[in-house]
Amino acid sequence: MKRSKCALICAAAALAMLCSCASAAPVAEQHTVALIAKSTETEFWLSVFAGAEAAAAEYNAKLTVVGPETEEDYETQNAMVEQAVEKGAQAIVFSAIDYENNATAIDAAAAAGVKIVAIDSSVDSSAVSTYIGTDNYAAGRMAALAALERVEGDLKVGIVNYDVSSANGQEREEGAVDEFKESGRAEIVSVINTLAEAVHAQADTAALLMDHPEINVLLAFNEPTSVGAANAVRELGLSDDVFLVGFDSNVATVDGLQEGSVDALVVQNSYAMGYLGVEAACKMLSGQGGSLETTVDTATRVVDRENLFTMDSQKALFAFE
Amino acid sequence: MKRRAVRTRLRTTTIFVTMVVAVVVVILCCCIFFFLDRYRTAMVQSARTSSAQAVSQVSNTVENYLSDMEQSMRLVEQSMTESADSRNKLLSAFLRFRPDVVAVTSYSSEGELLDCWSIGHEPKDSILENLSFDYERAAETNAPYLTAPHVESIFEGYYPWVVTMTAPLPSGTEAAWVSLDLSFSSISSYISNVGIGQRGYCFLMDSDGNIVYHPQQQLLYAGLKSEDTVRLASLRDGTYADDTVIYCVASVGDSGWRVVGVSYVDELVNRNVAEMIRLSAVLTVVVLAAALLTSWILSRLLGRPLRGLADAMESFESDADHFTYRPVGGTREVQELSGSFEHMVVRIQQLMSTVREEEVNLRKTELKALQAQINPHFLYNTLDSIAWMCEQGRNADAVNMVHALARLFRISISKGHELIPVAKEIEHAESYLQIQKYRYKNQFTYAFDVDPECLEYLCNKITLQPIIENAINHGLDLMVEEGHIDVQVKQDGGDIVFCVIDNGVGMSGEQIEAVLQRGPSDRTGIGIKNVNDRLKIYFGRQYGLHITSELDEGTCVEIRMPKVREGEYETK
Repeated sequence: MKRSKCALICAAAALAMLCSCASAAPVAEQHTVALIAKSTETEFWLSVFAGAEAAAAEYNAKLTVVGPETEEDYETQNAMVEQAVEKGAQAIVFSAIDYENNATAIDAAAAAGVKIVAIDSSVDSSAVSTYIGTDNYAAGRMAALAALERVEGDLKVGIVNYDVSSANGQEREEGAVDEFKESGRAEIVSVINTLAEAVHAQADTAALLMDHPEINVLLAFNEPTSVGAANAVRELGLSDDVFLVGFDSNVATVDGLQEGSVDALVVQNSYAMGYLGVEAACKMLSGQGGSLETTVDTATRVVDRENLFTMDSQKALFAFE
Repeated sequence: MKRRAVRTRLRTTTIFVTMVVAVVVVILCCCIFFFLDRYRTAMVQSARTSSAQAVSQVSNTVENYLSDMEQSMRLVEQSMTESADSRNKLLSAFLRFRPDVVAVTSYSSEGELLDCWSIGHEPKDSILENLSFDYERAAETNAPYLTAPHVESIFEGYYPWVVTMTAPLPSGTEAAWVSLDLSFSSISSYISNVGIGQRGYCFLMDSDGNIVYHPQQQLLYAGLKSEDTVRLASLRDGTYADDTVIYCVASVGDSGWRVVGVSYVDELVNRNVAEMIRLSAVLTVVVLAAALLTSWILSRLLGRPLRGLADAMESFESDADHFTYRPVGGTREVQELSGSFEHMVVRIQQLMSTVREEEVNLRKTELKALQAQINPHFLYNTLDSIAWMCEQGRNADAVNMVHALARLFRISISKGHELIPVAKEIEHAESYLQIQKYRYKNQFTYAFDVDPECLEYLCNKITLQPIIENAINHGLDLMVEEGHIDVQVKQDGGDIVFCVIDNGVGMSGEQIEAVLQRGPSDRTGIGIKNVNDRLKIYFGRQYGLHITSELDEGTCVEIRMPKVREGEYETK
């Protein structure tokens, strides 16, 4: 009789357990992810946002996208990080304007338990779980190589870079300078740091070209500076004399590539940065962060006039809407 | 005995429960297995069907769209035959009406761009490469054809993705071909909104496996996703399911385009099957619990009363006399069994008391017959003694002897009563001693010490005489000096104790045993054993004789019996 009672209790317990098991259907919780960009204007960033939204839709995350008006305003970025934490973001996908000055805000956010994913341009913080973006040093070398391969003779190089505290711009510059030095036939004539904004960049580039008429190769390291540099070259009528290597895809630079003011573009996979950044954030929040690598290199490709309309270049350059 | 019985019962219960549960488990498992198998097949079938339905719907819509476009193309073709002015009017109205047409372009027989109609955009002066028109391909075919998706490359600062529909124009017109560049806005609304399950989708590819439109086209272009279009292009129309994905391919009319539906077995089938498995598991447990409970209740219903019955039988076995049966409850069968057992108990108890009564009666009859006997030697010897007294002229002694003999016989018979007053028994003993004293020529003396309160109680007749006879024959007969016999009667609580004490040679332990076991000797009518037996039969085992003896010192025989008054024996 005692044994039967025991068995009965066991059966009841098992039943209760199974019932609770059955009723506890897994309900995926919606995570909140904030994407804080360097800018919300350029085609590069619009493409990043499209990718981020695609990932947010796929992983059922609530995505907010913000960015400062200018690509130098790290203080606004810091404020945005704080705000995102206040609003309950569980993960921040971040592209740092300033490698050093954004670090404190990111550390503070991480201390509040927010997961950090860096895309495009990293930040000096150990809280960054993964960096997703271009291998900027390699991209810089790629840009330099594009010029070296297509220009014969000695190269007098002018470099139009943007904010000096931005990690990715500096890395690209470093890669390009190294590549030029190794070639032995290139000389860096001048490096200017302008604002990441087309009008400013155009003026500064024009000034550079006026000051150094010997320049026959020009490198611009992001989308607005490339547009500005292309405009300057065209306005000065130097399309044939100056070999311009720009970065990223913009209708202006694509037009420039066809008419001659731009000679090559290093195209980053901005859509993938946005997509993979949000994907990484969602995976971390749902506890699958273990498989994340610390650095994910998104593909970069060089487009020039010859391969502009190949299928692969089309895919890289033009967003599908 | 009891332990074994309990263990057996438990084992039976356990076997019963185990068997029921095992049978239930086997049946359930078979049912669930077959059910789940069927269910999965049905789910896969339904997933395939819904996938096929979605795809055929998309296919029809796209076909409609294309036939619509072909009609538009005929309109455009027709416009080419008209004057430049009315053509411009017609085409600008057409472009306004069809916002998904990015541009209409016409080409000369050499493949040069002649004219371009587009709202808000003008073609560049120098076009690097026109992706909308492929002269070689156009020259090869005489019928309208569709290109793979490409970027519109003739405008400045405007690069939308389009597919181009190119048709040759009848000779006689200025242009040889006309092209329509179609954006994806219409197609995307047809295809993106079609979902199969939660994650399933449709996409459009051409006969070579180039993706025309995919809801996640940009993911494909960014290299984050890929479709195995090469394999899909080689498949005929139909539905193909592997372990994880169901592909459904359908051609769109004869355009060469094909719609591919992709759905996931995981969410359409496996999730439902998993849910069903969980449900089945719960059901199994419920049924098992029910089976366990039922069998437990059943075994209790049968086992408990049976155990009660077994216990009752056991206690009946150990003490049949004082057993009172309480019926056990339970099922009808058990109640019947219980009733039968009760019947049997009553019957056996009746039989037992009958047998005991008969036994007692038989013994009483036997004893009475024995008492009635008079030892003939005793009678001869006594009569010899009397005769001898008469010869010697001792008339007074002879008279006493005759009186004593008469008393002895009268009391021996006592009208057939077994129980007589103690006084009568004393009288009987005294008569006997008197006779023996004459016969043994005063070789012994005797004395009575009787508690007068004892006289009114009853005792078995001829109780003292055999003891005294034994004392004289075995104790005093062999003695040289004069013997003495003391007869005492006293109360001891609820009992009366008679003591016959002699100072004879005494008896050894073996002799005492022999005296108590031996039947009546040839010398006397009634032996000591007979006295002992009668006391036990009449009053119970605790009563009877107790002999203590010491060699050369004497013997004491103690007779114990309860106090019984006239008319009381039957009640006791």
